[in-house]
Amino acid sequence: MSRNQKPPVDPVILVMIGIVFIAVAIGLAVVQSGPNSGTIANDSGTMSQLLVAFVTGLTTGGLSCLAVQGGLLASSLAHQIEQDYVQQAAHHQPRKKSNVQTPARSNSAFPIFLFLVAKVVAYTLLGGLLGWLGSYLTLSPMTRAFLMIAIGIFMVGNALRMFNVHPIFRYFSIEPPKFITRYIRRTAKGTDTFTPIFLGALTVFIPCGITQAMMATALGTGSVVMGAALMFAFTLGTSPVFFVVAYLTTELGSRLEKFFMRFVAVVVLILGLVTMNGGLNILGSPLSLQNLARSLFPSNSGPAPVAQANQPAPVEGEVVLYVQNEGYFPQTLSAPAGKDFMLNLITDKTYSCARDFVIPALDFYELLPDTGNVQVSIPAQEKGSKLFFTCSMGMYTGQIVFE
Amino acid sequence: MIKKTFKVPDMTCTNCAMKLESLEDTLDGVKEINASYHKLLMVIEYDEAKLTEEQIIAAVKKKGYQAVSV
Repeated sequence: MSRNQKPPVDPVILVMIGIVFIAVAIGLAVVQSGPNSGTIANDSGTMSQLLVAFVTGLTTGGLSCLAVQGGLLASSLAHQIEQDYVQQAAHHQPRKKSNVQTPARSNSAFPIFLFLVAKVVAYTLLGGLLGWLGSYLTLSPMTRAFLMIAIGIFMVGNALRMFNVHPIFRYFSIEPPKFITRYIRRTAKGTDTFTPIFLGALTVFIPCGITQAMMATALGTGSVVMGAALMFAFTLGTSPVFFVVAYLTTELGSRLEKFFMRFVAVVVLILGLVTMNGGLNILGSPLSLQNLARSLFPSNSGPAPVAQANQPAPVEGEVVLYVQNEGYFPQTLSAPAGKDFMLNLITDKTYSCARDFVIPALDFYELLPDTGNVQVSIPAQEKGSKLFFTCSMGMYTGQIVFE
Repeated sequence: MIKKTFKVPDMTCTNCAMKLESLEDTLDGVKEINASYHKLLMVIEYDEAKLTEEQIIAAVKKKGYQAVSV
């Protein structure tokens, strides 16, 4: 992989690197200076969702997308690289061991930029469409749980594929139909601006695991504008990492690509496990990481809630759970066995997804008011049994132990 | 026209299959190439009067892969 010339710094690259830094800075600044002192939620919760989408894209989505969609991007650049190679070959004798095509000078920054712009536009439109569809069908927590577990398995399978653990994992990589790949290839003939734009738009047909999760979230918004905004924020977030990695891999060759692919595999593996764990939480499975930890370390009831001191003492036959931006307090509640009782859910300026309260075993799901008191009737349970509760994302969890 | 199958063990993703299929556009005498990342195989239908197995293997190598006739 020898290179004869050192490419001069392309102005487009400088601009893009600037955008990368600005995007990272904005991402960090917005998260840190979020309203409500330390929480990224705001009054409507909309900004919170958009920021989470952006940061998810910025931190992990780019790598995951690149693992799945890198092929399309490479296709859009392949012809240009091939042309460079052919031009070189026409002027020089073919060199030995030139098995990897690395152009001496290729202007890949601008096509990557166009590709990403097209991708952002296409996913924004897709988000709008999903939001519109979501307004007709609502995902129940159980559906979402199964979806998350399926996505998690897909991501873990893909990570194991990238690690080359077993040939069976190759089937986790979805091969686009031949007519699509052929059409894309035939389209990717020129180095004009149309090709990367068109191929960038085509990425909607091969979303990565994290993108699929975000698409499911867009579907769940049930709103055209929110769905579009969510996908826009996420795809915009993926763009800097996507650009840098794509640029480096196309410019610096396969050795670096292998390194990045291993890194991507680790990230995808972790995210896959986290997604599956979230799904298990929503199902109320005792096998989720949090529920297992609580079984192994029963004293873990979490820190005392801030607002607890100002609340009235619980009434007989009532169990109080504080629903806060950081989760549920206490995380482990005790309740008398063999008796019906009321679970009193208290929110106080709670804007995080903890408001989306789910008790999987009772098939109970309710979006709590940001400030208020909601009572849930819990039927009598056997002594020693546990009732798990969670937010609808499977992020915040807790349990009621019957004694 | 004959149809020949090659094992391409160093494909790492579906894009590798797409790259191999792009030989359709550059190799004279090729009618169709179907490459599968799942099976690590490339099936090529070509005119043996215009193209030899060695030329195919060389073209695949140029793409960065090793092809072994099955």
